[in-house]
Amino acid sequence: MKKVLFVMLVVTLMSTVLFASVVYERKETLYAGGGLWAPPSNWNPITPWNAVTGTVGLIYETLYGYDPLKDELIPWLAESGRWTSKNTFEIKLRRGVTWHDGTPFTSKDVKFTYELSKQIPEISYSPIWTWLAKIDTPDDYTVIFTFSSPRYHEWNYNIYQTPIIPQHIWSKKSKEDILSGANEKAIGTGAYLFETYSDDRMVYLRNDNWWGNKVFGQPKPKRIVYLRVLSNNVALGMIMKGELDISNFFLPGVPTLKKTYSDIHTWFEKEPYMLSDNVAYLFINTTKKPLNDPNLRRAIAFAIDPSVIARTVFEGQVVPSNPVGFLPIKGWMKYYPENAAKQFGFKYDPKTARDLLDKAGYKDVNKDGYREAPDGSKFKVEIIVPFGWTDWMESIKLIASQLRQVGINAEAKFPDYSKYWEDLTTGKFDMAINNFNSQMTVSPWTMYNWVFNSNISSEMYNGNFGRYVNQKLFELITQLNSTPMDDISGCKRIVEQIAEIHLKEMPAIPLWYNGMWFQASTQVWKGWPSEKMPYAYPVTWGGRWQTGGVLMLIGLKQ
Amino acid sequence: MNEMLFFAFRNKKLRIGLSIVLFFVFLGLFGPLISKYKDPLEYVGTGYQPPSKEFWLGTTTFGQDVFTQLVYGIRSSFLVGLIGGGLATLIGLIIGFFAGYEGGWIDELLMMITNILLVIPTLALLIILAAYLPYRGILVESIIIGFTAWPWTARAVRAQTLSLRVREFVNLARITGRSHLKIILYEIMPNMFSYVFMVFILQFGGAILAAVGLDFIGLGPTKGISIGLMMQNAVLWNAIQLGMWWWAIPPGLVITLIVGALYFMNTGLDEVFNPRLREM
Amino acid sequence: MKKYLRMKILVYVLTFIFAVTIDWLIPRLMPGNPILVLVSRFSGLPESARVIYSYLTKAFGLDEPMWKQYLNFWIAFLKGDLGISIYLYPKPVLDVLKSALPFSLGLLLPSIIASWIVGNNLGAIAARRKRLDSIMLPTMYFITGAPYLWLGILLAYYFGVVLRIFPIAGAYSFALRPHWSWLFISDYLKHWILPFLSLFIVQLGGWAIGMRNMVIYELESNYSRYLETLGVKQKLIRKYAFRNAILPQVTGLALQLGTIIAGQVTTEVVFSYPGIGYVLTQAILNQDYFLIQGCFIFIIIGVLVANFTVDLVYMLLDPRVRYSYGGEI
Repeated sequence: MKKVLFVMLVVTLMSTVLFASVVYERKETLYAGGGLWAPPSNWNPITPWNAVTGTVGLIYETLYGYDPLKDELIPWLAESGRWTSKNTFEIKLRRGVTWHDGTPFTSKDVKFTYELSKQIPEISYSPIWTWLAKIDTPDDYTVIFTFSSPRYHEWNYNIYQTPIIPQHIWSKKSKEDILSGANEKAIGTGAYLFETYSDDRMVYLRNDNWWGNKVFGQPKPKRIVYLRVLSNNVALGMIMKGELDISNFFLPGVPTLKKTYSDIHTWFEKEPYMLSDNVAYLFINTTKKPLNDPNLRRAIAFAIDPSVIARTVFEGQVVPSNPVGFLPIKGWMKYYPENAAKQFGFKYDPKTARDLLDKAGYKDVNKDGYREAPDGSKFKVEIIVPFGWTDWMESIKLIASQLRQVGINAEAKFPDYSKYWEDLTTGKFDMAINNFNSQMTVSPWTMYNWVFNSNISSEMYNGNFGRYVNQKLFELITQLNSTPMDDISGCKRIVEQIAEIHLKEMPAIPLWYNGMWFQASTQVWKGWPSEKMPYAYPVTWGGRWQTGGVLMLIGLKQ
Repeated sequence: MNEMLFFAFRNKKLRIGLSIVLFFVFLGLFGPLISKYKDPLEYVGTGYQPPSKEFWLGTTTFGQDVFTQLVYGIRSSFLVGLIGGGLATLIGLIIGFFAGYEGGWIDELLMMITNILLVIPTLALLIILAAYLPYRGILVESIIIGFTAWPWTARAVRAQTLSLRVREFVNLARITGRSHLKIILYEIMPNMFSYVFMVFILQFGGAILAAVGLDFIGLGPTKGISIGLMMQNAVLWNAIQLGMWWWAIPPGLVITLIVGALYFMNTGLDEVFNPRLREM
Repeated sequence: MKKYLRMKILVYVLTFIFAVTIDWLIPRLMPGNPILVLVSRFSGLPESARVIYSYLTKAFGLDEPMWKQYLNFWIAFLKGDLGISIYLYPKPVLDVLKSALPFSLGLLLPSIIASWIVGNNLGAIAARRKRLDSIMLPTMYFITGAPYLWLGILLAYYFGVVLRIFPIAGAYSFALRPHWSWLFISDYLKHWILPFLSLFIVQLGGWAIGMRNMVIYELESNYSRYLETLGVKQKLIRKYAFRNAILPQVTGLALQLGTIIAGQVTTEVVFSYPGIGYVLTQAILNQDYFLIQGCFIFIIIGVLVANFTVDLVYMLLDPRVRYSYGGEI
C-alpha cells in the first residue's frame, strides 16, 4: 500500500513538473485566431501564401512596413530609402540587426533575396526582373535598386511584401528545397522566434534581442499561441469566455453579443464595428451573351442594393462600397476619382435600372415576367459563390431577388468551392462574387491590376475573371503604375480615366467592403487599438502582420 | 390477411408509431399551407426572435421563419425517405435474391460488388456524383443515398434466401422446371413479404438520417431547404452559443421522432407478422 | 476448409484492389483541379500564379498520364508511402492521419464498447421484465432514431451553454498541449465527455433493442419451450437464450469496430473534434486527392479486416456455411 502511495506521489510530482513546462503563463501569452485554417506545416517565406501566419512579419521581416491608418510606409529593416533619380531607389539599412542565429543582417541578404528569383524563375516575385535592371551594394548597409522601367506603385507594394531571407542559410539550399521545403525552425530577423507547433497551433516565443525593441518598443506578449480554430462558432465561444484574446474571424452575432458581453472589443463601438479591409466585387462574364452588353451590366449595377445585404446578412458589420470600389483608406482616397464617380457613378435605383433596360431593348416580349434580350431571345443569369460560404450565399440570394424585381431572370447557385474556382478561372460562370485580391494596400493600383488583369488567357488565376478586354484601360493602369506615387494630381488624372471606363463598362461591380474582422477580449490583454486609439491596424492574417499586427503587439497593455 | 389487419390495429406499438409518422406526414403536406409565410428562405421579420405568436418557432439570424423552414424540411425528409429508401430496398432485393438463389460464382461476384460498396464510404461516391452535379436537389440526393445504402439489405436478403432455397416447396418448384426468376418471384418473395416490408421501413428511416448527415457536412442539396441544412445553418451561424435553441433543437427533434416512430412501427409490424412475438 | 479459406482470401484481396482503385479514381474523375485551389490561396501578382501552377502540377506528378499515375500510386503504396497532402502541403498524408487517428479512436472505441456492454445488459434485462420493457423499448427506439449530430447539439446546448459545465469544442483546451499529467488528462476528459455521451447514447439504443429482440426470440423458440416442458429451471433457460442471442451481437460489434476509422464525421464537426472524420471532410472540400485516398485506404482496411474476422468466426462456429461452398445442392 505504501508503495502504491509512493508511486502515486512521484507521478503527481512529475506531472506538476511537466505541467509547469507545458502550460504557458496566461498573463504572458496572447491567444490569437482567424488566420490559421490548416495544421501548421509550412514556414517557407518563398511561398508565403502557404506559410503559417506570422512567418512573414513575426519571423521574417520586410524592408518596410505599411500603416494604412496613417498611409505611411514604415522603415523596417530599411532605415531610410529614397528615389535618387527617376529609376534608382537607394535604401540605407538599419545597423545592428541580426538573424536569430546571431549572424549580422546586411545588404548582401537583400540582394540575395531579390536575385534568387532571377536564378529561379519559379519564385513568385521573379517577374520583378522584367522592370528591375540590377541591384548594387556599395557597402553592407546600402542597397541601390536600378530599374529599367520603374513601376512606382508596384515597387511600394513590393517593399513591404517581400520578406528578406538570410543568404548564409538559403544559398545552401537546393532549388527544390527553396521552392517547396517546409523550412521548419525558420530563422529570420523578426520580433518572434519559431518555438514549436502542433496540429492545432503555432507557438511563437518573443525574441528578446530583437533590434526593434530600441526602435519601436518591445512587443508585450512573451508568447503568441496562434490557434487553428476549426470554425467561427468555436471562435465565438472562445472570445466569450476569454480563451481567445484576438480573433480575425467573421463572427455572426457580434452586434447582438456586444450588448451582453461588455468585454468584447471591436474597432468601432457602434456600426459598422469593423474597419473596411477589402472589396467584394460582383464579376460579370463579358464573354457571354447578353452579359457582353455594357448597358445590361450597368443596369444590373443600378438594380442591386448592397445596403440591405450589409444590414441583414452582415448585421451591419460591413459598409456598402462607393461606385468605384475605393476602400475608405487614406492611401486610396487621395486618388479618389470624384468626377467620374459623380458623372458616371451608380447607386441603388430600380427605376433607373428599368429605364436603362427598356432603352437598351431588354423588354418582356413574351410576357413571362422576365425581360428578353434585344434580339428577342430569353436569357437567365446565374450568380455563384462557393457552397458553405454562408454570408456570401445569403448575399447572392438577395441579389438574385433584386435582379428579378427589375425583370432580369437571375438565380443564386452554390457549387462546391473547387467547382466555383474552376468556373471562375476558366470563364464558365455568368456572375460571381470574389474578393481574393482587393484588400487594403498602399495603392489602388493593386486593385485595378487585379480587377482588370490584362494578362488574358485560357485560365485566369488572378482577377479579371469576366475577361474584360480593353487595351486603353490596360494601358492606363500600366501608366498609373509608372507614375510616381507622390504625383497625386498626375495619378488622379489617370485614375479618373480608369474609373470612367470602369463605370461605363461595368465588367465588375463593387458591392460592399468586407470588414477587417476583429474581435478582442479584454479579459487578459487591454489597450487594443480602436477608433479612439487608432495606433495599429488590427490584422493577424498571413502576410499582413507588417501592416499593423506587429505594432498592435507593441501597443498592448496588461 | 384480415387476421393480420386485426392484429395490426390491435398492436399498440404499430398504432403509436404510425400516428406519429402520419402526424408528420400531414405536417409536411399541409404545414406549408398553414404557415404564414410562403418562402422558407425569405426574410420575413427581424432576426434573433424567440418563438412568438407571429413566428411560431422564432426566427433565424436573418429573420427567416423557423416554422416555415421546418415544415418544408419535413416534406423533403419524407421525399428522401421514400425515394432513397425505396431505391435502396429495390436494389438490395434484386441483388440479394439472385445472389442467394443462384449461389456459386454469381453469388461470389454479387457479394463482392456488395462488399466493395460496403467498403467504399458513401462519402466517396457522393463527392464524385456531387462534383458532376454541382447543383444538387433533394431528388438527386435521394437517388445517391438509394444507390449507396442497399448493400446491407442485399446481404440480409441473401441470407434469408439461402435458408429458403433449400426448403421443400422451392425444391419442388425447381423440379417442375420453372424459371429461376419465377421461383424467386412466386415462391421465395411471398414468403419474405413481411421481411421486405420491414426492410423498407428501416431503409426509409436510414435514408432520412443519411440525408441529415450529408446536408450537415455540406454535401447535401445546394438549393431548397431541408432539416439537415437547417441544422447546418444553425451551427454555422452560432445558434447554440447565442442561445437560439428554437433554431438549433427542433429540426433534430422532428427527425428523432419520425425515425424513432418508424423503428417503433417496425417492431409492431414484426409482432403482427410473427405471432410468437405478439403481446400476450 | 482450406479451399474455402483460399477463396475467401482471394475475394478479399480482389475487393481491396477494386475498392482502392475506385477510391483512387474517384477524386481524379472530379471536375475541378486541386492545384488551382492551392494557387488560389496565393495572393500576389498575376504573373506569378502561372509559374506556381506549373511547378506544383509537376511536383505532384499530375502532369503524367493517368496510367502512370496509377502505377506510381501502387508502387508508393507498397512502400508505405501515401503521398503528400495538397491541402496541408507539404505534409505527408500518413502524418496527417497519424495525428488525427488517436482522437477518433479515443472517442469511438470507448463509446462503441461501452454502449455494447450496457446495451446488451439493458436489452437482456428488458426482455424478461415486461414493465421495464414497456418503458425502455419506446425510449430506445427514439434514441436510435436521433441523428448523432442532433444529440450532440442538444448536449452542447444544455451542458455547454445553459449549465456551462462542459466545454463544447475541441479535444482539449487550447491553454494546454497534449502531455501526460493529471491536468491534461482531466482536461481531455472534460472535452471528451459530451461527444462520447452523444455517441454512446445513440448507439446504446440499437444494441439494447437488438439484444432484447434476440433474447425474446430465443425464449420463445422451440428449444426453450421444450426445455420448459421438461421442467428445466427458468434461470438456466435464460442463460442459454442469452448465450445464443449474444452471437449476432458479437458480429455486430466486429462490424461496427470496422467502421471506427471513418470516425463519426458529424459528431466531430459539431464538437470541432480533430479526428479523421474532420480531416476527411476538409480533404474533400479541398479536393486533396492524396489525403482523400489515404483516408479511404485506412477505412477500407478497417472494414475489410472486421468483415474477414466475422467470416472466419462464422466459419468456425457454423459448419453449414462451410458446406454450402462445397458445391452440393
